[in-house]
Amino acid sequence: MNKVKTRLSKTGDIVAYSEGAIRNNISAVEYCRTSMAAISGCAAGILGLSATLGFLFYFISVFVLWIMVLMKSGTQWRKYFINRKNLLTNQFLGGLCTYVLFWTFLYGMVHVY
Amino acid sequence: MTELLIDPDIRVWVFLPIVLITFLVGIVRHYVSILISTQKKAEMTQIMDSQAMIRARLLRENGKYLSAQSFSMRKNFFNNEETGYFKTQKRAPVAQNSSAMLTDMVKGNFINVLPMVVIGGWINWMFSGFVTTKVPFPLTLRFKPMLQRGVELASLDAAWVSSASWYFLNVFGLRSIYTLVLGENNHADQTQAQADAMTGAAMTMPQDPKAAFKAEWEALEITEYHNALKNIDADMMSIANESSAS
Repeated sequence: MNKVKTRLSKTGDIVAYSEGAIRNNISAVEYCRTSMAAISGCAAGILGLSATLGFLFYFISVFVLWIMVLMKSGTQWRKYFINRKNLLTNQFLGGLCTYVLFWTFLYGMVHVY
Repeated sequence: MTELLIDPDIRVWVFLPIVLITFLVGIVRHYVSILISTQKKAEMTQIMDSQAMIRARLLRENGKYLSAQSFSMRKNFFNNEETGYFKTQKRAPVAQNSSAMLTDMVKGNFINVLPMVVIGGWINWMFSGFVTTKVPFPLTLRFKPMLQRGVELASLDAAWVSSASWYFLNVFGLRSIYTLVLGENNHADQTQAQADAMTGAAMTMPQDPKAAFKAEWEALEITEYHNALKNIDADMMSIANESSAS
């Protein structure tokens, strides 16, 4: 589990990292992302956001989560993640799927009937 | 708010039950698959082979932390023309234990396909023909057959969702929720099973050891030695200097 892997960074030097630890970090972030998508979907549904506004809300929530994760890891983010940009873009569509489901669900519950 | 008035009873007796049923079926499927899955039996030689493969792979990946001599020593153990492990081990292709394979396949189908068909069919039959909800964003007419399965009304706006389609929306949307509820490696979703097969633990045996050995031999043969710790003393000293300075 505690395998050490390496990859070349842009500057050409070899960066070594623990495979298991990185995977654990990523799955923790994944957990946050799913929760965030579900919660923001609920919020959007209850607020009755529709069309563009709703999607905008999702983008904002993803971005806010990214900022929050970066704030949590602080200046030492290189210790925990390989790539800062991947943190923002990973599982974007999967999260959107969850978001749309919750959004539709609560929008239906609150505003349609 | 809406131009179409829907009976609130539909919400209580159709809309909510579909969400609950989809979710709970996923959870039940997770536990049933844990219940009926069996440990795979493995033979001694197969485990030896797969462990040798894993060692060779680790050498390829992590060989750069070894000294040059250690690396070539290990490489020699596997790849030597006369005495190397991959060269000397002659294995007959594994005879497939057909009945065990068959039970596995039947079980897989039982867990994955059967609930899909049965529950989907049941939902279709039980809750057919309801307009349940409206998606909060406009859609083009192309989405009509997708979202309004079971309700063929030409004049209905494409944003309205029928009960059967609501079920499918749930099936796809709840995947990540299962990860949240059941943990990382859950069996509620059949795509996970394929991901498990890809990661390949020590128990997974290569189907044909000879071909696998050949491939691993080739991969190891072209691996060159690079020392990753070449500058480690300088790096260490710079870190030590930094921490002592601060």
